[in-house]
Amino acid sequence: MNTLSAHGLAVGLPAGWEGRIQRRLATAASEQTHAVVHLANFALPEERDDFGGGVTPAMRSSDVLVVLFEYGPESAGSRLFAAQGMPRVSADMFGSKRLQRPLPGQLGCQRFFTANGRQFCLYVVAGSRVYLARIVAEVNAVLADVAVGP
Amino acid sequence: MTNTVLVIESVVLVLLTVLVAGLLRSHAEILRRLHMLGAGVDPDVPLPDPRTRSVDLPAHATAAFVDAADVDGGGLRDDAVHVAVIGIRHRTLLAFLSTGCLTCQTFWDAFGDAGRLGLPDDVRLVVVTKDAHEESISALRSVAPKAAAVVMSSTAWTDYRVPGSPYFVLVDGIAGRVRGEGTGATWDQVKNLLRQAGDDADDAGREVRIDRELLAHGIAPGDPSLYRTAEQIAEDARA
Repeated sequence: MNTLSAHGLAVGLPAGWEGRIQRRLATAASEQTHAVVHLANFALPEERDDFGGGVTPAMRSSDVLVVLFEYGPESAGSRLFAAQGMPRVSADMFGSKRLQRPLPGQLGCQRFFTANGRQFCLYVVAGSRVYLARIVAEVNAVLADVAVGP
Repeated sequence: MTNTVLVIESVVLVLLTVLVAGLLRSHAEILRRLHMLGAGVDPDVPLPDPRTRSVDLPAHATAAFVDAADVDGGGLRDDAVHVAVIGIRHRTLLAFLSTGCLTCQTFWDAFGDAGRLGLPDDVRLVVVTKDAHEESISALRSVAPKAAAVVMSSTAWTDYRVPGSPYFVLVDGIAGRVRGEGTGATWDQVKNLLRQAGDDADDAGREVRIDRELLAHGIAPGDPSLYRTAEQIAEDARA
């Protein structure tokens, strides 16, 4: 198990997975940026958007992309982020209409939650329904090893 | 008595002949090496271009490949990076570079245009520099290629026993082993290293190649399709 940690987050990654934990550089002095985590069971391209733009077109059927996108403290207390703790995913949460960028065969899943006082969106893209059962199991194993600091 | 003297003289003559031949051969080798170094004395033979002269390019391809390791470190955008190198279905070319070495500049320039690198489809380029306290991040940002991962990881330099920069290591992701390593003065020389390592892998790792093909099509170990009989396949074809 490989551990990746930065910006108050730590992720345990199984063999063959890779990841980045980054925070966008602020473009204005007043801007506050937050953590963005990209995890995948394939080689992550360097030019990618927060929610997988630039990544998903190259995904194969058995590939999965996991994004953890942190929102600012202004989101605290809103109903959208009412769920507490790192969520888990199940096959019925995935659908082709839940993708930020729909691509044939791919399925998406989005969950909003609060962990340790920080607000996040979990966004998962599965390469295909054929491998969905395996993908769900792998993603839940990864999510079980995510630690969120205050 | 005369016969004895003749025999001794003959033996001495043979020994001297062998000695002179050895000296001439040694002299010729010294001249050849001098010529290779650009200090040849024969005006009729052109000197090799020092810009294309190989520095050192051993391609190790024996059964004693060293184990590879994933690369963990920092990125150039205040990020933590974990690049999977083993347990994956492609090969990874780790390019150990620095911003301070002159020869490395050739490679930073070459990597800026990924389309012209001519890398095989199954080879991913990852640039590895030393940690932030041993490198200049601003200099790195100015030379880093957009399309390739750049990881600052002194640990990876230790893991792969990198003697200095530039240095290249080709890792087979399925086998989790180093397939070739070495250095070169130009990108063409490094590509040659890749080619050599590929040829050696062809000889030594046919099974690994087949595994890679199967994995690329989503067929993992234990997949039921691997255990179908010829009759079952023929039956499916008829249906």
